[in-house]
Amino acid sequence: MGKPLIVVGSITFAMKGRDILGRRGFRSSVERVPHSRDAHGCGYGLYVPERAEEAEKILRSAGIPVTGRVPWEASGR
Amino acid sequence: MIYLDNAATTYPKPESVRRAVSEALVRYGANPGRAGHSMSIAASEEIYRCRSAAAEFFRASGPECVAFTLNCTHAINYVLKGLLRPGDHVVISCLEHNAVVRPLYALAQQGVQVTEATVTAGDNDATMEAFRSAIRQNTRLIVCTHASNVWGIRLPVERLAALAHAYRIPIVVDSAQSAGVLPIDLADSGIDYLCCAGHKGLYGPMGTGMLITANGAGLSTVIEGGTGTESANPQQPAGMPERMESGTQNMPGIAGLHAGIEFVKRRGPEKIAQHEMGLIRSAYEQLSRLPRVRFYTPEPDLRYFAPVLSFTVDGLPSETVGRELGKLGVAVRAGLHCAPSAHRLMGTLENGAVRICPSAFSTQADISGMVGAVKKILNKNYGSED
Repeated sequence: MGKPLIVVGSITFAMKGRDILGRRGFRSSVERVPHSRDAHGCGYGLYVPERAEEAEKILRSAGIPVTGRVPWEASGR
Repeated sequence: MIYLDNAATTYPKPESVRRAVSEALVRYGANPGRAGHSMSIAASEEIYRCRSAAAEFFRASGPECVAFTLNCTHAINYVLKGLLRPGDHVVISCLEHNAVVRPLYALAQQGVQVTEATVTAGDNDATMEAFRSAIRQNTRLIVCTHASNVWGIRLPVERLAALAHAYRIPIVVDSAQSAGVLPIDLADSGIDYLCCAGHKGLYGPMGTGMLITANGAGLSTVIEGGTGTESANPQQPAGMPERMESGTQNMPGIAGLHAGIEFVKRRGPEKIAQHEMGLIRSAYEQLSRLPRVRFYTPEPDLRYFAPVLSFTVDGLPSETVGRELGKLGVAVRAGLHCAPSAHRLMGTLENGAVRICPSAFSTQADISGMVGAVKKILNKNYGSED
């Protein structure tokens, strides 16, 4: 089981989310979400290796459209 | 060449813009927003930086509010055709470019009604009253240019936005001639849809424009297609900016636009506007001393005008003057400037006018050179009368 990947609506929101989290002291990276991981098909998400649940709350409160959270193998990119 | 056709597109572009376009072809050669490999992500990052810079420049609520388009015309079409339905009524100004007039003409064939409000140069109260009295119960949208692309006449868009909102009507502003020169603050003004050209006052390459709005999700789409997201869903994504950005992006153009916005920020739009208006006032003063040269607006100042000036020469069609100026090495735009309504207002629909517009790079010598060329044309056609 890998660390969680927070799936967001678009690459724009992924990058905006990364910047928001960065200002709050979180490490995160923008990742491509494969088709099988999202019901609507491919998209983008934020890999947050630590405190992902807290990060998701911050993103949601900042208006980032979070569509889900999936396991993610950092080495499996 | 003395280039005074900057209202059509600015030239030259800053060195930083030329470099950014060139480097983008090398550094960001992959398709942005489509893949997960490093060059695709790097390209997406550059696009995101441009979105962020534009959002900050116009004080939009976030980079997701910025959708890239081919030009200002495309952005305007997206809004008009995305919002208006048969039976809707629209109020526009009497100075609109064909970018507004033609889509509305097409929509009128489907039952959209259009009323033109008269703009009074130098009297914003009169302009406001004209818009107010044009509003009807079924008015769905107000559309206006920020500044006439022919006469430079500036519209009080902040007051018009307040008026529109008092009637619960959204407002679209065509900022083709103003973005990068006149202040535009989306947060303060409440302008709902800002349509921008990237290749004019923002100094980006041609083929760049923007629709900036927090309301993009409410627009029906004109073009649908691949966005790199939600690929299994046949329905166009609802969220901005993807909703308005189907197909591969103009990556080098957007990189150049980013550099252009940064150029304007560094110089300061207020300084650019003062510089350009100083040149326009100088042109006005020098040309007004010449016989047969006719103006249609008072001496412009930034309160009521953008730095764009048009004139005619009595007895000579504007296209002739433009052609003669071209032969003398002065690039201007003559004719109707794709804005017949604006010419109708001033009675220049038949012969058009000669338009000059400086940029941040124009100089007093350019203006003097242009005036000297007009003198030569007058002497050639009428002998020395002054």
